[in-house]
Amino acid sequence: MNMDILVRLEKLNQLRLTEEQRAQQLAFFAEREAEMAQLDAIDTADVERMVHVLPLENVLREDRADEPFSREDLQAGAPQADDGYWQVPRTVD
Amino acid sequence: MTLLINRAQETAGKSVALEDLILTTALPTTGGSKMLEGYMSLFDATVVGKLEAAGYEIAGKANIGEFGFDLLGETSYFGACENEQGELEAASSLLLADGEVEAVVGLDVNGTQRRAAALADQVCVKPTYGTVSRFGTIAVACSGEAVCVTANTAAEAQDVLSAIVGHDDKDGTSLPEERCALAKTAAEMPKKKIALAKSFVEAADDLTKAAIAEFASFAEKAGFAVEEIDDAILLAARPAWNVLMSAELCNNVSRFDGVKYGYRATQYETIDELYTNSRTEAFGELLKATILYGSEMLSEENYDKMYDKSLRVRRVVVEELARIFADYDAVLLPACSKSAYTLAELEADKFLCFKDNACTAVASISGVPAVVVGGVQLVGPAFSDAALLALAAQFESAEEVR
Repeated sequence: MNMDILVRLEKLNQLRLTEEQRAQQLAFFAEREAEMAQLDAIDTADVERMVHVLPLENVLREDRADEPFSREDLQAGAPQADDGYWQVPRTVD
Repeated sequence: MTLLINRAQETAGKSVALEDLILTTALPTTGGSKMLEGYMSLFDATVVGKLEAAGYEIAGKANIGEFGFDLLGETSYFGACENEQGELEAASSLLLADGEVEAVVGLDVNGTQRRAAALADQVCVKPTYGTVSRFGTIAVACSGEAVCVTANTAAEAQDVLSAIVGHDDKDGTSLPEERCALAKTAAEMPKKKIALAKSFVEAADDLTKAAIAEFASFAEKAGFAVEEIDDAILLAARPAWNVLMSAELCNNVSRFDGVKYGYRATQYETIDELYTNSRTEAFGELLKATILYGSEMLSEENYDKMYDKSLRVRRVVVEELARIFADYDAVLLPACSKSAYTLAELEADKFLCFKDNACTAVASISGVPAVVVGGVQLVGPAFSDAALLALAAQFESAEEVR
């Protein structure tokens, strides 16, 4: 981990850290890196990944339309909406 | 000090508080974050309907740390809570201590509720994964988080747990009804043996060690053999859970971008500035750090080395627990290594929830139930929830006699 990677991560995640926060973040990464030795000590070469603790099955439901939320309800908490549309700055020049 | 971020009208009967990651239509749901201040959900979480059907009234939304994965609620946008001794204490604990509610229902993401219950000498049950619907909870670390109950007594925790356990078609990880029902039924603990996770105990402070010794003494008088076990594998749960939790959190909070709902910055010109300024202004330091760490764990460079490795270690921990539960009814360990924390400590080390979560990570990563009572934690095999609570109730009775 270094400052260049950290700045790239900020951009990818739409975040911006202060210089002080960047220093803390690098220390946080270093702490996490140090604890990885506990994972490396476990031989997992012949161990399958366990994404979920339960044997999950795909859940399907009948293909029918439910009553949708109204546009007014969906936009009731919108930071900025007008005439039924969410408003954002221009996305395509 | 904010115990309830939003309060319902006066309640008359049995009342519970919901921690603020549980969506409600009657009250705003904030997730403890500036990002969702004032946010009104269009639907209720399944547990809300189940609680109301069982006769519980919702007293309000309990204050929690931002997205509920910190140590004890210290990262809440609405402020951390402290007790009269100046120690950090979860809002849920203070509400219960004040007798404001019979129980608090929350989402156990990283063991916060179990630590809080241990510090406040209350009871918390994190049930078997998949037995309580997570539909309508704000997702943080989906593969391990579980709706949990905190109460003053094991009997009250059991009553509320029984009300919310059950299959839900709306939750893809919900177990069939007959398996959910197992979590409500207290079976015998047939082996009469409890495993003591010695490394976790050795890392704890003296008061926590004393609580463990007191429970072990009770268990022996109740006919259990208490034996130390080699717990080296269980120690790996913490770093693996830190990776998995952060990776899942990073993805789950990517939806909060200031466009359709939630906080939007006032200063921006481009769409990228809207996203970046909104998230930067609304998210706290711990959340930002965790997002960035989770993102790095999922990067091409680290995916196999860190994320994939952690998924494999999860299986190793689950299989180790299965081996232990072949011989023992439960594992006895602390819920956290200290018996008190102060805000000053958390200000000096903002990331303590990634270090002092070793004791809670074991059940978080493996989905097995955990019960906190008398300042200690019991972890049992899947569906032993009610049996663990029954043992907790027995401990409470023995304490009363003393």
